[in-house]
Amino acid sequence: MRDDYLWDGSGEPDPEIQKLEGVLGRLRHDRPAPAFPEIPMAKPSRRLWQMPAFQFAAAAACVLAIAAGVFMSHQPKPERVSLVAGWNVTRVTGVPRVGTQNLTAQHDKSILINGQVLETDAKSQASIRAEQIGEIDVEPNTIVRLPRGNSGLTRLALDRGTIHASIWAPAGEFVVNTPSAVAVDLGCTYTLHVDDSGGGTLQTTFGWVGFKLGNREAFIPAGAACHTKKNTGPGIPYFEDASEDFRSAIARLDNEGGTGQDRDAALQIVLAKSRKPDSLTLWHLLSRAPESDRTRVYNRLAQLVPPPAGVTREGIMRLDQNMLDLWWNQLGFGDVGLWRHWERTWTDHSASQ
Amino acid sequence: MASTVGDRVELFAASLEHRAVTDAAASDAINDSRLVEAARRGDRSAFGRLYDRYARMVHGILLARVPLPDVDDLVQDVFLLALPRLHSLRDITRFGAWLAAIARNRANDYHRQHVEQVELSDEFSAEPGGGPSKSDAPQMEAAAILEVIRSLPEAYRETLLLRLVEGMTGPEIAARTGLTPGSVRVNLHRGMQQLREKLASREKAKM
Repeated sequence: MRDDYLWDGSGEPDPEIQKLEGVLGRLRHDRPAPAFPEIPMAKPSRRLWQMPAFQFAAAAACVLAIAAGVFMSHQPKPERVSLVAGWNVTRVTGVPRVGTQNLTAQHDKSILINGQVLETDAKSQASIRAEQIGEIDVEPNTIVRLPRGNSGLTRLALDRGTIHASIWAPAGEFVVNTPSAVAVDLGCTYTLHVDDSGGGTLQTTFGWVGFKLGNREAFIPAGAACHTKKNTGPGIPYFEDASEDFRSAIARLDNEGGTGQDRDAALQIVLAKSRKPDSLTLWHLLSRAPESDRTRVYNRLAQLVPPPAGVTREGIMRLDQNMLDLWWNQLGFGDVGLWRHWERTWTDHSASQ
Repeated sequence: MASTVGDRVELFAASLEHRAVTDAAASDAINDSRLVEAARRGDRSAFGRLYDRYARMVHGILLARVPLPDVDDLVQDVFLLALPRLHSLRDITRFGAWLAAIARNRANDYHRQHVEQVELSDEFSAEPGGGPSKSDAPQMEAAAILEVIRSLPEAYRETLLLRLVEGMTGPEIAARTGLTPGSVRVNLHRGMQQLREKLASREKAKM
């Protein structure tokens, strides 16, 4: 039966759906638009800087700022400098350190500013929050940095340890550098772990995350995870509820040092054990597997999710990006346009920056 | 296997209609782009028209995630969050998808700030001196079905609420949220299937 009525209200009405529409329609949105505040204009053009009045005002502001700085330097320091652009840090347990400042039960707040490091030891935990971006829980034995020159606060570096991020900034705005890949928020909650080798794991619990190193990219929807290695970048994502065999085969495929036989055996397991949600893994395998294996991956993925109109076997064999994207969109994990449209020149890995 | 065959039929049907849906989406995107451009120039009425076009989508997304009594306020929050960020929207034809992401993130934020609430007992709690009046019954039924929909997987929940509560059609949902028509159709189909099953077992339990 085609669900035409459910799809667009055409075709033969379905009485059960009509009843649900009647009952649930009571909850429909009906509040008129509020009075919106003034819409801020875009940043002024450079020509403004050339206007004498502006130059005078800027000079006066500088003098005032210096005077205020001198005055403030003679005042007792407030516990929290809320006007400084940075992430608000709150101690959760232990003695986390922000720059040279130790946070304790008595002085449990600080601000992480550009170039500063937040470090937790084995007994410490902290939480950081930026109103326009999101909130991040910082686990023990973790080093988080706010890289220099990052006035928008939208880029953090995780050098080591574990963070749990809940981000409400628009998709694509907030990124976390790790030594082996950049994690780009696409509207989500996720956990990112970096080990001492610089490699790590990303697990998404809500929405999805893009993981990238150079041209190598991985998309990780809710319920999935992906490992990353220094110099290699993101591995192949998989759903965490997949079987142990499946996950262990993915780990072997991620290990590019394995022999051809190993890889072949692992690929065989992945193809045989894949369920429909594992189309996530197979889609990534299309571009990761050697050309000689690509047909097998294509065939299995096509069984699970038939390629949509406009996607051909030949196109996928030559890794046509548009066709890969069209097929991804068919998998139901999110619209890759979100990533392509917002993709920027993110630095791939900048733990050293 | 049955569901696989069903899915293929749905996907095939979706592909046939993809072109028409895509054309409608393109026309929507052009209109939205004009409104976004005008709003960026400070035209508040243009932003008001964007609100008129997208408030139902935002409402449906929030309804899938936060307690009913807070949804209306959060709808306004989402637009107030979006307003000062309009200049950061790089591709103005993607306004809907961008706004949907803000709404999902706002719901996420809500849960971090609030303790869990039991909606039925909050909103429809017995009034002093008696139980719920007869006039509350349809509202209670709506809230009860809403709870059932919320127990479905996330992808189905949102799409079903946009269709059944907000009265949006599948093509409209795809155009507004930026999801592909194929995904929306499959989500509606599977979500409805699961909803029917859950409602049937609920009825059975009542008997």
